[in-house]
Amino acid sequence: MNAAIQPHILVIDDEPQILRALRTVLTAKRFRVSTASRGEEGLSLAAAQPPDLIILDLSLPDMDGIEVCRQLRTWSQVPIIVLSVRDREHDKVEALDHGADDYLTKPFGIEELLARIRVALRHSIQTQTADGKKTVIRTGSLEIDLMQHLVTRAGEEVKLTATEFKLLAYLAANAGRVLTHQMILSNVWDPVDVDRVEYLRVYIRLLRRKLEDDPEKPHFLVNEPGIGYRFLIE
Amino acid sequence: MKQDFYLYNASNRINPWPYLQVLVGIFIMTAFLVLVKQWISPTSLALLYLLPIGLGASYYGLGPGLFAAILAFLAFNFFFVEPLYSLFVHRTQDLIGLVVFLGTAFAIGQGFGMARQNLEKAQAREREAILLSEFSSELADLHDGKGIVQALERKVLETFQVQRVEVILEAKHTPDTGASETGREGRTKDAANPGNVGAHSPRPARPDLLAPLQTPRGMIGEIRIWRFNSPFNASEQRLLQTFASQACLAFERTRLTLAENRARVLEESDRLKTSLLSSVSHEFRTPLATIKASVTALHSETDSLDPEASGELLAAIEEETDHLNLLVGNLLDMSRIESGVLQPKRSWNVLSEIVAGVLHRMQSFTKSHTIQVDISEDLPLVSVDYLQLEQVFANLISNSIKFSPVDTVILISAGRQSDQSILVQVKNQGPGVSEEYLERIFDKFFRVTAAERVSGIGLGLSICKGIIQAHGGRIWAENQPDGFAYFFTLPLTWEGDIQREELE
Repeated sequence: MNAAIQPHILVIDDEPQILRALRTVLTAKRFRVSTASRGEEGLSLAAAQPPDLIILDLSLPDMDGIEVCRQLRTWSQVPIIVLSVRDREHDKVEALDHGADDYLTKPFGIEELLARIRVALRHSIQTQTADGKKTVIRTGSLEIDLMQHLVTRAGEEVKLTATEFKLLAYLAANAGRVLTHQMILSNVWDPVDVDRVEYLRVYIRLLRRKLEDDPEKPHFLVNEPGIGYRFLIE
Repeated sequence: MKQDFYLYNASNRINPWPYLQVLVGIFIMTAFLVLVKQWISPTSLALLYLLPIGLGASYYGLGPGLFAAILAFLAFNFFFVEPLYSLFVHRTQDLIGLVVFLGTAFAIGQGFGMARQNLEKAQAREREAILLSEFSSELADLHDGKGIVQALERKVLETFQVQRVEVILEAKHTPDTGASETGREGRTKDAANPGNVGAHSPRPARPDLLAPLQTPRGMIGEIRIWRFNSPFNASEQRLLQTFASQACLAFERTRLTLAENRARVLEESDRLKTSLLSSVSHEFRTPLATIKASVTALHSETDSLDPEASGELLAAIEEETDHLNLLVGNLLDMSRIESGVLQPKRSWNVLSEIVAGVLHRMQSFTKSHTIQVDISEDLPLVSVDYLQLEQVFANLISNSIKFSPVDTVILISAGRQSDQSILVQVKNQGPGVSEEYLERIFDKFFRVTAAERVSGIGLGLSICKGIIQAHGGRIWAENQPDGFAYFFTLPLTWEGDIQREELE
């Protein structure tokens, strides 16, 4: 593996020890790592050398991590994984609503972080092909054609209602990202319906019945308790 | 004790003085008229009698006015109507004249008297209104039960010209004055020696006027008044009743203010506890995150990590456990300071050794900065608790590192301040702290910046303060032209030391 195709990860965290540990581990895992200990520094590094992924702490000395997220999202679609000691649902939802792709609370196991990094990078690579306008998403036996509004499972067409398809298409187009209930409801239904989580529960159950091998143990439509859902690509 | 508001009056006698004056007036007028009657017609005589009636009524009111009218009628009949010197009347003409005179005299007496009464009432009301507004504005500035009682006593003394006032408060209703042994708080004020509370003047058995202090919570006490020379009239009773209810309102307001303050203090301490919990969890999870990430990396695929990387991770784990240990130490010290069991275990120490020990222990932590130590060689030994002083230096150094830019200098210096004490300085080149916060940074949980932004639970400096104070020293911070400095003093002698020397 040469340096050119090593994924570049930018870690923004103000704790020198965690920066040191992450740099060591990620370098050992053959990632190219740069680090920043302040929000402004992180933003300018991300602009100067666009990374493939950003790991972001929410407690920064100069600005809040949420603000870093918001500013990054104004010009970049780079996957952002938030790492924070803040473990309330409210904090997670806020970060995700402001453009973070994933959220991991400290302390965390390195394997879990690596898994999340892999998911985020895969999603990012998939969306980058065809100018970020990928029209067919494949995972396992599932194939979703966003243009043709066609979903096949092991080669057989799956009949979906208009709302079911809209929901699936939205989740699949953001594969790998954690989407909050509010984001899904306002995009698939209507911004006035952001509190009708029950709609979402019903339709997710319908989709799982039609798409998953075992609707009780979903592979594609994964629940993020209290936060939202995530479409996983195998 | 009756619950409803009541007042009673010891006696309600009529004041005889105005009647006497009116009698004298009529007598003088009669004598004068007897002397001049041959020159004046009977009609004019009758008219002249109306003069004392009108004067009496307008000066002394209705009662004396009517009294004057009857006297004048009798005198006129007796001295000037045929037959003279008797109350009999022979001529019908005279009888009509007398009846008309009596009617006119009554009308004048009543008219003037009523006007007089109304004027007096209006004046009394005005006076009451002024007194009440003065009293209520006086009460508005008072915030303690004692002050209100004093104001009430003063006002009653001034207003009613009484000999003696007592304000009795049920002890359970006076949270700020404390319960007396008898369970009642009694205050007495005598007109003869005002300000001498509870003076030894003989106390009459029964007060002349009583007014209970009645609040929505029930009776909280009463006002007792002694006035020997004159009884209380209805308007005075009403006024006292109003004073009492105003004082009650003030007591209630005081009570509510106290309750509110207490609630605010509780709320504040609750908020502090919550903030401590959230910052403790934040502060513990940060090093734990490094430790867990490193351990899981080492644990899962050790073979894929080269020895250098493993070494890095192990070093990170070691440093973060030290960091956690410092945190736990601070929390323990804080709870010791809180419960008052932080007793320095003093022994004779060399200050520079303590500093060297701390710097050795913190060397991985201080790599980002340059540490300079300037402690003079001839500094005497100090009698301090080694571990506690180490904690003070560790906290001051860690604070300096946290708040000053990388690659700047941190200077630790110490020298004799006087014969009695030495002065230690820990100075960094970081930004200063706004003057208003210079003292508060040593308060528990106080942080100048938002809690989420900078790590730390706001305990370090308050622990330093606790330890230094336990050693009999003083700690403070100063903004310097080129940075920020912490100072503390340590006494070279302390009480235990002197006692021991004396024993030897």
